[in-house]
Parts: sequence; structure tokens; C-alpha cells
Amino acid sequence: MTEQSLTARSWLKTLATLERRRLYLAAFLGVLAGVQTVIIVVGVAWLVEQLVVFHQTPHQLVSVLALLALCVIGRGICQWGQEIISLEASLRIRRYARRQMLDKFWALGPVWLAYHQSGALATQAVENIEALDGYFSRFYTQLRIVSLLPLLILCVVLKLDYLVAIFLLISAPIIPLFMALVGMGAERVNRDQFAAVARLSAHFLDRVRGMATLQLFGRTQSAHKDVWWATDDYRQLSMRTLRLAFLSSAVLEFFASVAIAVVAMYVGFGLLGYIDYGPAASLTLFSGLAVLLLAPEFFQPLRTLSQHYHDRATALGAAESLVTILNESSIQRHAVIEPSNESIIAVLKDVSVEYATRGQVLGPVNLTVQKGDIIAISGPSGSGKSTLLALLAGFLSPSNGVLELMSPRYAWLDQQPALLHGSLADNLRLANPEADTAAMQWALDQAGLEALLSQLPDGMETLIGERGIGLSGGQAQRLALARIYLSEANFILLDEPTASLDRDTEKVVVRAMLEWAAQGRTLIMATHHPAAISAAKRHLDLRAGRLEEVRHEA
Amino acid sequence: MKHEARSSVKMFSQTLDALSPWIALMVKRRRRFLVGALLIWLTLAAGLSLLGLSGWFITACALAGIALLLGIPSRLDVYVPGGGIRFFALLRTVARYIERLYNHDTVLRLLADLRYRVFGQLMQLDEAELRRHRASDWLGRLTADIDALDNLYLRLLMPPVVSLLVIVGVSLFIAIWLPGIALVSGGILFILWIGLTYGVGRLGFAASHRQVADQEVLRRFVVDQLQASAELIAYRSAAWHRLQVESHEEAALNNQRRLGKCVALGNSLISVVAGLLLLGVVWGGGLLVAEGTLAGPILVMALLTLLGVNEVFVQLPGAFARVGGSVAAAERLNGLGSAAPLLKEQALPPQELDIVVQAVTHRYSSSMMPALENVTFQLAAGEKAIITGHSGAGKSTLAALLTGRLVASQGEVNVGGCLPAAVSEKQRSQRIVLLTQQVDLFDASLEDNLRLGNPDASEEALWEVLEAVALDTWVKSLPHKLETPVGERGQQLSGGQVRRVALARLLLMDPSVVILDEPFAAIDQATVNTVANTLSHWLEGRTTIFFMHHGSSLLTQQVKHHWHLSAGKLGPGN
Repeated sequence: MTEQSLTARSWLKTLATLERRRLYLAAFLGVLAGVQTVIIVVGVAWLVEQLVVFHQTPHQLVSVLALLALCVIGRGICQWGQEIISLEASLRIRRYARRQMLDKFWALGPVWLAYHQSGALATQAVENIEALDGYFSRFYTQLRIVSLLPLLILCVVLKLDYLVAIFLLISAPIIPLFMALVGMGAERVNRDQFAAVARLSAHFLDRVRGMATLQLFGRTQSAHKDVWWATDDYRQLSMRTLRLAFLSSAVLEFFASVAIAVVAMYVGFGLLGYIDYGPAASLTLFSGLAVLLLAPEFFQPLRTLSQHYHDRATALGAAESLVTILNESSIQRHAVIEPSNESIIAVLKDVSVEYATRGQVLGPVNLTVQKGDIIAISGPSGSGKSTLLALLAGFLSPSNGVLELMSPRYAWLDQQPALLHGSLADNLRLANPEADTAAMQWALDQAGLEALLSQLPDGMETLIGERGIGLSGGQAQRLALARIYLSEANFILLDEPTASLDRDTEKVVVRAMLEWAAQGRTLIMATHHPAAISAAKRHLDLRAGRLEEVRHEA
Repeated sequence: MKHEARSSVKMFSQTLDALSPWIALMVKRRRRFLVGALLIWLTLAAGLSLLGLSGWFITACALAGIALLLGIPSRLDVYVPGGGIRFFALLRTVARYIERLYNHDTVLRLLADLRYRVFGQLMQLDEAELRRHRASDWLGRLTADIDALDNLYLRLLMPPVVSLLVIVGVSLFIAIWLPGIALVSGGILFILWIGLTYGVGRLGFAASHRQVADQEVLRRFVVDQLQASAELIAYRSAAWHRLQVESHEEAALNNQRRLGKCVALGNSLISVVAGLLLLGVVWGGGLLVAEGTLAGPILVMALLTLLGVNEVFVQLPGAFARVGGSVAAAERLNGLGSAAPLLKEQALPPQELDIVVQAVTHRYSSSMMPALENVTFQLAAGEKAIITGHSGAGKSTLAALLTGRLVASQGEVNVGGCLPAAVSEKQRSQRIVLLTQQVDLFDASLEDNLRLGNPDASEEALWEVLEAVALDTWVKSLPHKLETPVGERGQQLSGGQVRRVALARLLLMDPSVVILDEPFAAIDQATVNTVANTLSHWLEGRTTIFFMHHGSSLLTQQVKHHWHLSAGKLGPGN
């Protein structure tokens, strides 16, 4: 698959092609602004000559002044356009990349996600995507400008005085080589700085994270001083490396300064007639002043690029970690086929599941689930119950064997129901986005949450969870029950729904399960609860990945 | 939008309120600030002088050359300006290099100051707030906020000061020959400066103030998608959720778009104003040259100096458009530990300590249900109790109350007749110890982590306690022995080892009250007996509470009380 071979660079390149037209337009506007700058400085040089040498009055030069004023305004507009358009490109690219990430998370499925920290993954989809900004909004465009604008300026200089042009060429020997030098320097500064800052932050965060422990041991005061000294130690360390690293950017500065000085001396002595070599004799104040002013402009795009170089390093770093996720293999949804008979929900034929890290965790398993089946699956922890349920829910694709699965809307309940960062209503709508208030109220009543609802300050719209009212484990599980009531799903998968619950909630959950069973819904539950098992029509026992039917009532 | 309705005075005072404690911190380093600003100014001034002097030199040479051609004798000293040009070229390079090093050093020093201050605030937080922070991604944001304030110095404080100094310097310089033109151009540049600092700051305030909040909302939605992915897939509501994500993302991107426009406007304003000003001086200066009151070379010098002046403004729009972001970061940091800490005025009696908990109810501000409800028990000095309960039953709340890192919303908690929260941290930590369920080891050596229990412990004592928890053979086998680093959060150690190091750390102390939360969790069966044995020896005569999921046969023989905690209520154990 092509997906597997994604690298940070190739991915960034693909992203850039999505907005190629905007990015190139922005670069074009940047070059246009540069051209107008050239016109302005050359124009000013010409005006100066007219005023100083030919003793013209400004009134005689008003048309040129007006033209230059137009250029000044035009340049402003071009610069504005360049920034706005490249920003727009960056925004669109980031939006696209974020959706690509979010889609990937769906494709990886809940089983994969359970093994990864959601906070760290969210950082990928939010902060790391944002970290791509500078690369597209600044660096990418500037890189295009750098490859054209200095050349244009060089042509103008060549026309005015070829010796200066040759000198500029020598001082920036071959532009790519020069850029590599700058790039290496910038990258090194970036890397060193990043490493030092990361170590620093790690020390600080380590102490903050352990604040409770420091308080318990009465060591907050000494840790307080420690924080300062550690930062200061790292400062001294990193200053040592920076002393060297900053040199490379000084080189660029040096070239730009020396170019001005050398050109000034050459033009000055040429005008005095001290140099009678080459084009020096034909120098005028106009051509001399123009080349002097063009010399720094020649270096300007490069200097801007070097300022944006860290954008590239930042984006590459972020892209690298994003690409590792994009390269993970997704669930093979296309491998799952629909069962031929409408009364059958799922058929597993010699299905097994194995993970690269843990080996075979399930199978081979044979199972047919009919509509209206009520199946209890028991077995010790680690026997593969959750894996079997994940297969039936379509969260996994089998490593071997054939899985036929109808895909109706179904309900899912596990030990730790997920709470959304939102209102109670949002958390219910998750199960049925179109549900109205009355239906939600009814579902809460069924789950025994009417008392909670009456206590909430803003009723159904009260924020719950981390940012609002905290719910106990029992309340959260009842909320998950309410979701199932609201969804009216006919196929219900339950993964140890009564584990680690208080007795009252456990009763409510078991009662609901019996109720659904009586209504003829299809239920598959991994459970040890005796009442649930005895209510089931089929009882399967799973041991070390093998399934055994203990009981099957007709 | 909330902020747009505010008057600019309010925005200004909001900025000042939020940033003033941090600026005060930076003022302490004012000498470095001044030197740093001076170095930047010197770099910029050298650049401007280089261009200006070069322009003057070329023009003077041109005029002298023409005069020579015409046979008019003229004298031009080429050595002084030539030397000046070389000097400024070198000065610019060297000053830039030193400036970058010096200011970077300052920034790192400031970082140490900032972290010191924030850490001081965090030290005052109680268990409830620490727990709230632990739940979210607060730690990551904390460092980002501190970095945002660290940037304040190089981005927000330095550039406006330096650019103002350059405006003044350039205007004064031009005023030597062209006082009128200097006054006008100085005025225009000053207005531009106001526009780029105050104007752009005001335009971008709301958008940048919201930026971090925008990211957080987006982040929460992504976390929701990840954590609820099973439910969202099962109920076929993934598309519904995606729609919400996209609408919030769109809002966040629109906000960035607004901010970007603001910066772009500022940047093009610089280029237009500086360009038109240049042409204006060509006009005005040209008139004077035509009149014969101004020498050509001087005009060119003034022009070229002004030509370079836009370089001093380029940092301003980007920095000031994001003032709102810095203010938001400062506000978040200012909001830490705002509650006044309790006065530490009580002292524990020297003898053994008893525990009296009377009708204690504790309610966290974020929770509907009380974490503890009407809990009452007594433990005489030296007595032991087991309290069983599921996670979330209120055990850690009770432990925090007894160790004085939380004050009960109702009822009385007394240890040795004192309210633990009112005892000084030093005394409290030596007399009342707690083994938490989640053990924190610091990213330091094994020895440092052990010495947390007792900084003055001898090396023999360290080995003794390691032997007591059956870790001595393992530590001896390590190449660096006690110097072995444990890694961030003790990651180099197994869960059971971490637990035993934490126990060893306690054994170095001599407390009167000991609270152990699941002391044997993650320790393998083979070593549990050894550890339990030493532990029960050490616990003799100390008032002890064991928190456990289930009653353990290992310790019950010496335990007098057995209680069960369920949903915040304490009842008899079974």
C-alpha cells in the first residue's frame, strides 16, 4: 500500500500540492513586491542624480515621483496579498490534514485507540497540525521567492555594473550552498535549543507533577529553589552550544554588511576615477547609488528565509510524528461481508485474531448469532471476551477466517462508558442525534436518573464531566443505560457492564438487561453476573481463546 | 463578541492588570534589559549608519569626480568615510551576534525567574486543585503559558522600546541639517509606531485572546471522538459528532484568519508609510537642494537612513497582534492558587497522636455528590484501622484531610488535637505520613528519591531500608547502585519496585501517624510476606490507617478497627 511508505517530507509535499495554486500565487505576489522594490530603489537613485547632479527641481520630476508612489502602494498591496493568501492556503491545508487525522482515528478503531493515550493523540490532531502553519504560510512561499527574486535583482545589477554583479555572485557563491550553510546552522540552533528546553521543561514538570508528594514530605521549599537552579544550570549549558550555533547566522549578516561596504567603496572610488578597470569608468551617481541599494535587497530574501527556517524544522518534527499514525494499519472493513440470510446477525467461521505484540488472543472461533439471540459469554479475564465483542461490533477485523456481519445500528456498553465534554443532552444525543427532550427525559427515567436530573442546575443543558458536574461511576453507567433506551437499538453488545459498580447500580443494570431480553432484542454480553447468565438463552464459555457452548435453549 | 464591546481603556487596563506582576518580575532584571535593548539599538543603528554613510560617500565622490572632470579643484577625504563604512559593517555583524547571545541569555534567566514564581504559587494549591489539574492536560498548557510570558520580553517589551529609540535617534540625526523635515518625518514615524503597537494590539486583542481557548475546545472534541469512538461507531453518530468538530474548527480558523489579516495590515502599512515618507523627503529635500541650501550628499544620507528605518518596525505587528494571547496566558497563571492559604499556627504535641474525625462532610466544588458524608470515627494513639472501599469511595479525600492538604467543608478533623491543615508543612510532614496509591518518584537517582524521606539519612540507613523491602540485592546488582537514575515518574523501575522504593522512603522517617493506601499493590506474592513483616514491626506504636480494596489477612491480626467506606459513607467493615 502507498499509505505505508508515507514519510514526513512526502506528506508535506502532498499537502502543499493541494493548495499549489494559492501558494504559487502568494509567491508570485512576493516576487512582484520585490520587483516593485527594485523599481523604487532604482527610481530613487535616478531622482537623486537628477536633483543633485543635473540640478532639476522636484517640480520637473513629479511624474516619476507619482509613478514611484504608485509602486509603493502597489508593493504594500502585494505584500498584503501574499500574506493573506499564504495564510489562507495554510488554514485550508491544516483543515485538510486535521480531517485526515480524524478519519484515520476512525479507521484505526476503538481497540487500537484503547491502547493509546487519548491526550497524546489529541495533541497530534490539534497542536501538531497547528505546528504545520509556519511551513506553509511562510517558509514554502519564501523558498519559491528566494529561487527567483535574487536572480532578477542580479540581472538588474548586471545591466548597471557587471563587476558588482560578479561580486554579489561571489559573495553568495552558489545560492543553494549558501542556503545549506544557513539551514544547517538554523537547524542546529533549533535542535540544541529544543533539546535544552525540553530537558528543562521535563525537570520542571516532574516537580509540578509530584507536588502532592513534595507537600507530603515537606520538601516544597527545597524543590522551589531547585527549580531555579536547574533552569540556571541548563542556561549555562545551552549558552555554550549557542555561542557556536549563532555564528552561522552571523555569517549571513556579515556577507550582507560587507557587500554594502565593498559596493560603496568600489562605487565611490570608481566615481572619483581611481578605478579605470572594466565598467567602473562609466559609473554614474545613478548607477552607483542603484547598485548600492540593490546589494542589501539581493540578500533580503535569503535573510527572511533563514528567519523562517525554524518553521520548517518545527513542521518536519510535527509531520514525523503525525505520519507514524497515518502509517498504522487500519481496520480492514472491506474484508467483512454481509450474511446471506436476513435472520442472521453474524457468522464467524474459524475466525482468529492475533496481535503483533501479543500473539493470538482469540480463536479459532465458530459462532452464528441469530436475531433475537440472548447470549452470555463468560470466561476468565484475558480469555478474549472483549476481543470477541470487538469483532462482533466491527471494531476489529479477523486475522484469519471469515466474518459475516450485518451492520445495523447497535448499542454498545462497556465497563467505563465514555462521557463527552458537553451537556447531559449532548451525552444522550450521542445515541440518537435526532432525539427530542421528551424522549431524553423518558430514557433518563428508565435508567433511574430522574433524581439526578432534578438536581442539576441547568437541567438537561448542565455541563457534565471534567468541565462541569462530576458524575460518579454508577451515575455514568446509568447514563450509558439511558443511551441504550434512547437509541432503541435492537442489537445490544455489553462488555462486563456490571463490573466495579455499587450494588444499587448493578441492580438497575441487570434489570435493564432482563427487560431488553424480554422485549426480544438481540443481546450479547460478556458477564459473570449469575442473573444475567441464567436469563440468557445461550451461555458460551471462552477459555484461552476457544469458545464452548455450555447451554443452548431453543 | 465580548471583547469588541469593551472600550479601549478597559482593554488597556485588562492588559496591565494581567501582565503587571510579570513585568515587575522582569523589571528586577532591568540592567540586562537596558543592555540588551542598547545592543539591539546598536545593531540597527550600525545598519542605518552603514547605508547612510555609504550614500553620502558615493554622492560626495560623484560630485568630486564631476568637479575634477570640469577641472575644478576639489578635496575629498576618502579615508575617514571609508574607514567609517568598514567600521559600521563590522559593528553591525558583531553587535548582532553579541545581541543575540546576550538576549538569549536574558530570556533563559527570565525563564528561571518565571518558573520559580509559578512554582511558588503551585506550592500553595490544595489536594482538590491538584486533583482537578491532574485530570486535564493542564501541565502541557502550564509550560506553554510560561513560555508565552517568556516571549513577552523579546517580542513585546524590547522591540517597541528599541524602535522608539531608533525613531528618536534618526530624527535627531537628520535634524542636524534638516530640522523641518526631521520634525515631520519623526512625527509620521511616531504615529506609525503608535498604530503598530497600540492600534494593531487593539485590533488583534479579541482574536488572540481566544486562540488558546479555541484550541482547547477543539482538543476536547478530539478527545471525545477518541474516548467515545466505540459508542459513536455503534450508534452511527460519528457524522453527527464530526459536524460539531468541524463547526468549532471553522470558528477557530476564522479567528486565526482575522488575526492574520491584522498582522498583514500592519506589515503593509509599514511598507507603504515608510515608502511614501521616503518619496516625501525626496521632494522636500529636492526643493532645498534646488534652492542651494542643502548639499547633495547630505540629502542622500538622510534618504538612505530613512530607507532602512522600516526594518526596526517589522517585528511590531506580529508581536502586538498577539498581545491578547499573552494576556490570556498571564490571566491563567494569575488565577493559580488565588485562594488565601490557611495560617499555619498550630503545633502538634510531642507525644503519640490520636485521630478524631467528627461528622465530616466534604464536597468538591465540581461534584454533585459529597465525596465524604457525615464520617465519624476515632482512633486512639497507636491504634490501627483498616478502611476498605472501592476506588472513588472517598479514601483519597479522607487521606488528604488527615494530611492537611484539604480542609473539610463541614465537620472536624483532629490529629493530636490539631487541625492538620493548620500545622506547618515541615512539622506535619514529619509526623503524619501517607503512602499514596499513585506513587511519584522524581527524575533523579534512587538515592535522591529515598532521601526525600530523610535528607540526613546515612548510607547505612539507606541500605537498611532497602533490605527491609527486599530491594538490596537488586540495587547491589545495578552498575550505579544507589546512583541509578529512576527515570521520569520512575519509568526505569517496575510497578512493584516503585512501590517498594516508596515504602523504603517511608521507613526512613519516624512519624506518629501512618496512612497506607494499598501498601502491597503491584508487589508480587513472594516478597509481600517479607515486606509485610518489616512493615508491621515498624508500625508498632504508630497510629495507622490501611486503605484497601479488600481486607487483607496479612495485617489484620494487629488491627483493632475495620470500617468500610462506600460512596462517601463510613460503616462497619465485613
